[in-house]
Amino acid sequence: MALPKRIVKETERLMAEPVPGISAVPHEDNLRYFDVTVEGPSQSPYEGGIFKLELFLPDDYPMTPPKIRFLTKIYHPNIDKLGRICLDVLKSNWSPALQIRTILLSIQALLGAPNPDDPLANDVAQHWKENQNAAIQTAREWTQQYAKPQ
Amino acid sequence: MSDNGDVAHARSRGGLAAYQDARALVRLLQCSQCSRPLRTPVTLPCGNSVCRECLPQTHLRENISYPNAPDRHYGFQCPFPGCGEEHPLADCSVDVVLYKILESVAMEVSRSREASDNTPTALEEVMQWGDIPEDEKISAAAHARTLNGGRLVATFTFAELGELGYLSEVTYRSLSPTGDAYEELDKAFLERLREGAHKEVDCQVCYALLLDPVTTSCGHTFCRKCLVRVLDHAEHCPMCRRQLLIPASLARQPSNKTLSTLLYRLCPDIIEARAEAVRLDELGPPGGLDTPLFIVTLGFPSMPTFLHVFEPRYRLMIRRAMEGNGTFGIMMYNRLAAPQGDLGVTQFMQYGTLLRIVSVQMLPDGRSLIETRGISRFKVLEHGQRDGYTVGRVERVEDVSLTEEERLEAEETTAPISLDADAATQIDHLSTRQLLFIGIEFILKMQRNSAPWLHQRILDAYGGPPDDPASFPYWFASILPIDEEEKYKLLLTTSVRGRLKITASWIRRIESQRWYALTLNLMV
Repeated sequence: MALPKRIVKETERLMAEPVPGISAVPHEDNLRYFDVTVEGPSQSPYEGGIFKLELFLPDDYPMTPPKIRFLTKIYHPNIDKLGRICLDVLKSNWSPALQIRTILLSIQALLGAPNPDDPLANDVAQHWKENQNAAIQTAREWTQQYAKPQ
Repeated sequence: MSDNGDVAHARSRGGLAAYQDARALVRLLQCSQCSRPLRTPVTLPCGNSVCRECLPQTHLRENISYPNAPDRHYGFQCPFPGCGEEHPLADCSVDVVLYKILESVAMEVSRSREASDNTPTALEEVMQWGDIPEDEKISAAAHARTLNGGRLVATFTFAELGELGYLSEVTYRSLSPTGDAYEELDKAFLERLREGAHKEVDCQVCYALLLDPVTTSCGHTFCRKCLVRVLDHAEHCPMCRRQLLIPASLARQPSNKTLSTLLYRLCPDIIEARAEAVRLDELGPPGGLDTPLFIVTLGFPSMPTFLHVFEPRYRLMIRRAMEGNGTFGIMMYNRLAAPQGDLGVTQFMQYGTLLRIVSVQMLPDGRSLIETRGISRFKVLEHGQRDGYTVGRVERVEDVSLTEEERLEAEETTAPISLDADAATQIDHLSTRQLLFIGIEFILKMQRNSAPWLHQRILDAYGGPPDDPASFPYWFASILPIDEEEKYKLLLTTSVRGRLKITASWIRRIESQRWYALTLNLMV
């Protein structure tokens, strides 16, 4: 099936005006599937890390949100072992006026502002609440270990 | 010469030319109440727009308790002829797209005016007396001005000064020493306007030029079709997430009149091309994957199927079917994951029924109850996805010719049979008419036993048993409470006799002990 004009335009704009610290490149054989990298925000435990994600635009995009998951291991209360992300705009608060660009910015912002009160990874959230400094230290170590640019 | 050709072409398509139609172009942006270019435009529920300052005096709306929002308690009488409705203040927000267009136009006008301070044109207002009440004629006097910047800029400025009545016409006289009428100036100006406004008139859902724009009560504008699709999934505005209290079909929601007219008059060709592209898109992809498939249950030819459509993807499918030829295919889930011929294991069973929509009852929240009637059976040859639902290239399944039907009957009924033949073989030897009678008699017997699946309510919906042997099995399968997998076999048959043999075998099995106990629960 032909790619909807909206996806074509979004992809063109992502290529023409990339967001600083974020890249999203569609697969040649499947233009709905993107390889994504997000730089960890400065002043966060993820600073210096480059995180890989995969992003897929379902058939009824933009009526339904893109499906996104972290491929790089990350220690974060709202991201679980499988890389799934707990973010309202990816679920009930999705709106078709949002786009790949804004969603990736939201994910980057989530790295800068972990929310242990709405956890997806319960053990991480627990750790975060009980000993925030130690949890942040672990997040830093994981970033060093798994998210270092090759 | 070719320039004049362009003008003629644009005008023949309903477009307006920069120089020749300068007056009409400016009117598109004038407030019909104050005659100035729209300032902070508000689009009303009737699709008309006015300056926010020009909204009429509000009054308290009494005896209203739902929805009980404070700003719904005030409203006004719509000033537009042909509307006259009472609009709640809550439904009249600043129209974001129009606001940005007006802003961009005003900026471009002021920039052009400064850049061309030596291109005087004399403008004279020609009032349309017929529209002015008798007692106001004395105070109303036609205005005249000499303004710079070509006709468009001068006319817009004239309106900004509040000296050009909404209905008034204008006569122009160029005061250029060289006799230049500044036609080129107008053309260039309009081109800049088009470019400047271009990015404001894309729909934020489909990213294309707004087609049949509809403005929400919160002031956000989308293509009509885009907003309908949004409402399949949510009841909030995509831009501001405010709740949209409008019936999901948007059937009675008027288009944004100012914006529609503006877009059509400025670029009729683009709008038409876009409408055509959408029309083709609605037809589905080329290559024959043209039958939408609703994977939910079994349907049978000539029989009604009643469906409750609530999933967003199927709402879209049904809507497209209604706009198109009114048909779609219905298929059963492949619950047992059985391979389906060349298709391999698919989510659906390979054979289905084409249904025609008979009536649709739209519920206010966008769900619908639809009544359909089966047209024909089909086999899926190829399948794909479209906006979340399945589409297929299908081949019609038909019965063999009557002579072949007769040959089958003669052959089977005259074949030698042993005395201890099993039930299936015995059925094979029965004439087609006898096979039908087995069915009719079974129905009569069950009716005497007051079987609940023959309740009057069901007969009202499906009708009584048809005399036609070709359709009896479909009727029988529509009401008999047995396994769907069993009924599915009817869709694969290619002879009347083949179908009646299947129904006769059900009856034999129901009457035999094994099925009797099983189905007794269902039937008593």
